[in-house]
Amino acid sequence: MAKFNEILSDHIAKWNMVWFGLIFWGSVFNAVANHYEILSSSLLWYSIGLLFGIIAKFRGTWLWKV
Amino acid sequence: MEGLDQVSEEFSFEKEKEIARSFSKRFQWEMMLIGVGQATIWLSLWPLVINGYISLGFGSFLAVFCACFAYLPSHEAQHGNFSRGNPKRRWIDSFVSHYTLITIMFPHDLMRCTHMKHHAYTNNPEKDPDYDTASAKSIWEVIVATQAGITKYQAIADNFSSDAAFMKSFNKGVAIGMIYRVILLTLVVIFPLETLLLWWMPSKVGIIYLSTFFSWYPHYQTDTGRYKDTRFWSHWMPRFLNHSMQLHFVHHLHPGIGHYDEPKAIEALKPFLIARKVPGAEEIPDRVKYNPLIKL
Repeated sequence: MAKFNEILSDHIAKWNMVWFGLIFWGSVFNAVANHYEILSSSLLWYSIGLLFGIIAKFRGTWLWKV
Repeated sequence: MEGLDQVSEEFSFEKEKEIARSFSKRFQWEMMLIGVGQATIWLSLWPLVINGYISLGFGSFLAVFCACFAYLPSHEAQHGNFSRGNPKRRWIDSFVSHYTLITIMFPHDLMRCTHMKHHAYTNNPEKDPDYDTASAKSIWEVIVATQAGITKYQAIADNFSSDAAFMKSFNKGVAIGMIYRVILLTLVVIFPLETLLLWWMPSKVGIIYLSTFFSWYPHYQTDTGRYKDTRFWSHWMPRFLNHSMQLHFVHHLHPGIGHYDEPKAIEALKPFLIARKVPGAEEIPDRVKYNPLIKL
């Protein structure tokens, strides 16, 4: 259990921004697209969210560098 | 403690403490009402918005308002100002703090342990967890600092890794923070725009508000040392809109004074504050209660 917790903690520390981009921003972009009836696959909006997350991970921040 | 022997007996630390203690007894019912009230209103926004009783825009406006009221009740609880040393009442501190912080997704245990370090090391660049916002040169720098996220907390943990009690609270807080994250990411899949505008965005606004008025203004360009690290300041904004943070310096001197008793305590302690050369003490009005402390 301790090993599992350690692996999980490491994974979250390294990849939390990517998961947040995919799930949070992907869901938000998809909902906005649906709201404005922009005809595109959900896959596109979740991919954009994922891309946001990957960029944030490599920059180390979502917006400005502190 | 630094600077305690530099004034006459008339303004001794013992006398100052005695006066402060007389304002440190009352149960902070106003703060409990604000904490429990705002969190209950915020929770009720979800069914009201989802079922179409109020618009998402109006719900979001109310959620931002709730988020700005979320921290201070927890702050009183972090100092044990509800239980007042009575072990049977400690559950009130814990309940109020956990419940009120839901709106801004802050874990009580993480806030409490880092806030105690902020009191112990105010304005110390290496050890004060709030130094990033307190030392900012403009509101813009405060806003930028608030989005540092997990990096800031990793640095704090590294600083105090040898303090077992701190790390116990810190790790408990991190676990609760993780639960918040899981709930947020679950809700956003089911209610995407509601989660964005009722929780995520209001919590960000609340944190910027909190950092600006609780961390930045009170400690702006102040030094280290008991009577030097927090200042009296005035502002164009009526004090009821910024939680009377112009008076925050007295909290740093005597954290047991309840928030709503601070104006009276400052009136009583004013000669001591002037004698100790607290930054801005000369400008404290004789009557604080109805004075909005406005400075245009």
